[in-house]
Amino acid sequence: MEIFVLLKPVPEGESRLRVSADGRRLDLDGVKFVLAGYDESAVEQALLLKESAPGSTVRAVSFGPARCEEILRAAIALGCDAATWVEGPSEAAEDPMVVARALATAIAPGGASLILAGKQAGDDEEGLVPAAVAERLGVPSFGHVLDLRAGPDGASLRFARATEAGTERWECPLPCVIGLQQAWNDPRTAKLPNILKSRKAAIAKVAWTETAAALGAESRPTNRPEAFALPPPRAGAKMIEFKTPDDAAEQLVRALREEAKVFP
Amino acid sequence: MIPPILVVAERDADGGLAAATREATGVARTMAGPGGSFVGVVVGADVAAAAEEFARLGASAVYVAEDARFATPTSGILAVAATEAARKSEAKWVVLGGTSQGRDLAGRLAMRWSAAAVTGVTELSTASDGGLRAKRPVFGGRATETRALDGARAVIALRPHAFAAATDDPKPLVRHDLSLEGISGGEVAARRTGLARPEAAAGPSLAEATIVVAGGRGLRSPENFALVEQLAASLGAAVGASRAVTDAGWRPPSFQVGQTGRTVSPQLYVAIGISGAIQHLVGMVSSRTIVAINSDASAPIFKVADYGIVGDALAIVPALTREVRRVRGLPPT
Ligand SMILES: Cc1cc2nc3c(=O)[nH]c(=O)nc-3n(C[C@H](O)[C@H](O)[C@H](O)COP(=O)(O)OP(=O)(O)OC[C@H]3O[C@@H](n4cnc5c(N)ncnc54)[C@H](O)[C@@H]3O)c2cc1C
Ligand SMILES: Nc1ncnc2c1ncn2[C@@H]1O[C@H](COP(=O)(O)O)[C@@H](O)[C@H]1O
Repeated sequence: MEIFVLLKPVPEGESRLRVSADGRRLDLDGVKFVLAGYDESAVEQALLLKESAPGSTVRAVSFGPARCEEILRAAIALGCDAATWVEGPSEAAEDPMVVARALATAIAPGGASLILAGKQAGDDEEGLVPAAVAERLGVPSFGHVLDLRAGPDGASLRFARATEAGTERWECPLPCVIGLQQAWNDPRTAKLPNILKSRKAAIAKVAWTETAAALGAESRPTNRPEAFALPPPRAGAKMIEFKTPDDAAEQLVRALREEAKVFP
Repeated sequence: MIPPILVVAERDADGGLAAATREATGVARTMAGPGGSFVGVVVGADVAAAAEEFARLGASAVYVAEDARFATPTSGILAVAATEAARKSEAKWVVLGGTSQGRDLAGRLAMRWSAAAVTGVTELSTASDGGLRAKRPVFGGRATETRALDGARAVIALRPHAFAAATDDPKPLVRHDLSLEGISGGEVAARRTGLARPEAAAGPSLAEATIVVAGGRGLRSPENFALVEQLAASLGAAVGASRAVTDAGWRPPSFQVGQTGRTVSPQLYVAIGISGAIQHLVGMVSSRTIVAINSDASAPIFKVADYGIVGDALAIVPALTREVRRVRGLPPT
């Protein structure tokens, strides 16, 4: 199998969020970008599939400015065979549709037997990119995927999909695009020698000029950040002072009915 | 003619419209305004009930792709049908429910139909330039962003429960049949082979519930966890759990709320014996009202709570269940 994993550099989980000077976006100054969340799961899943189907290769692909390189090296250190940086300006990376067109152009129809992605990115949580890439390539796509395995024929997949109605089971022929919801308790971590090796690994680069020429007017964002806001900190809990459990219960039910108005 | 707003149907187990689609319909009616209209599109087998429900909610027309092969359509098939319905109805804006189906369809449809797209929307307005402004939580509810979409064509997927469901406004059913061309072989070959309903069949599902009562390790044992379930039943709420509970096997993984479980945003979230680790908070922090019950006054859950009770859950929760049942006029358990 030729497996591609789509990886987005996202701000490190514990980063303090600040609003940029223009008020439109997250302030990226001094932010560390990492491979995180469901994208980590996508890498783990790709490597598990590769181990179960010898001869497979895993290529990590990331679209955006230079920060992509860092997470591609992290993916190589974890065991991906190759990496492609699809270069793009920050403004293009802010519109998921432009991201998807650029990624699909770089992957090109026929290049991949399976494309794995996170069901949503750790920062913007749009969940748009994987399905949009699939539509562009003309292949099926499924998000919210759990418990993914290669089918017995090697040309299909079997997996579960989490929906509001319950857990669905699906079989789908390759090629297709999968957005992973699965999380492992203990995904592999990179070993030091592999981290050192990954620093020198070659990363293929697709220049933005090339992608922009291929996309023409479609390289222009139609979805832009307008405002970014941190919620006012919650006022803090109103603590209920009580003498007995019954007293606590009575006060809480009254508050939910009369103040919060959320009592059924 | 003012272009209508298009709503893509998601169907519930009985073939009618899912709650999320009624929310999307409510938004479409608001966007259309008094002079405007909305239309629906339904794909699958036995579509009559869903089409009639659209008409009952006030659709001026319903586009129907009735095809037994597509009883459980993939997002690729839905995208073909929605694009066709948008073309025929001359809609500029499509609204989708905030479900797995809605979110999986949004990107495909926007790509196929050359539209701007946004998901997880909690507020929507039109701008003087004819574009749309969509507000949405990001970073697990730690921030919100507003997106400016070109108004020419847009696909908007909502956040569950952020908008009220449409109420009845019956119109006669005007049905247009679609024939779906250009569906790729992969979409036809992909097969749904099963559906396992959530194990907690009693009460609403976590995703759809307007009240969630969740328990953590503070309950101390799987038997005590039943106290959480009794309170939930009294409130008509869904039951959630922290990962400490699902990892310990007290309850199945489908109960888990948080980073690696479900994200919920109900009207009321009651956290019982849950410490409030960041991985749990990201799954529930955008709930409207949060109640925390915990024996440790310094537990981080109190930082995001609106109401706090410091005490022993094993004593407080049964008292709360009794009081809820008394006020709601339910017989004692
Ligand atoms: C990658 C990763 C992903 C994760 N994803 C998730 C996730 O999706 N969801 C999730 O929930 N967690 C997740 N976790 C785990 C998370 O970090 C916490 O370990 C977990 O949420 C703790 O569960 P808890 O609050 O029930 O247990 P604890 O942290 O043990 O807290 C128990 C609480 O109960 C209180 N308590 C004790 N006795 C009583 C009593 N008698 N009455 C009232 N209160 C009492 C205690 O004061 C304490 O605050 C994840 C962790 C990692 C590393
Ligand atoms: N700039 C990007 N480069 C590569 N993959 C991306 C990029 N943005 C999003 N993705 C992939 O698409 C998934 C969903 O992202 P999003 O649509 O932004 O929520 C992510 O988890 C990644 O797998």
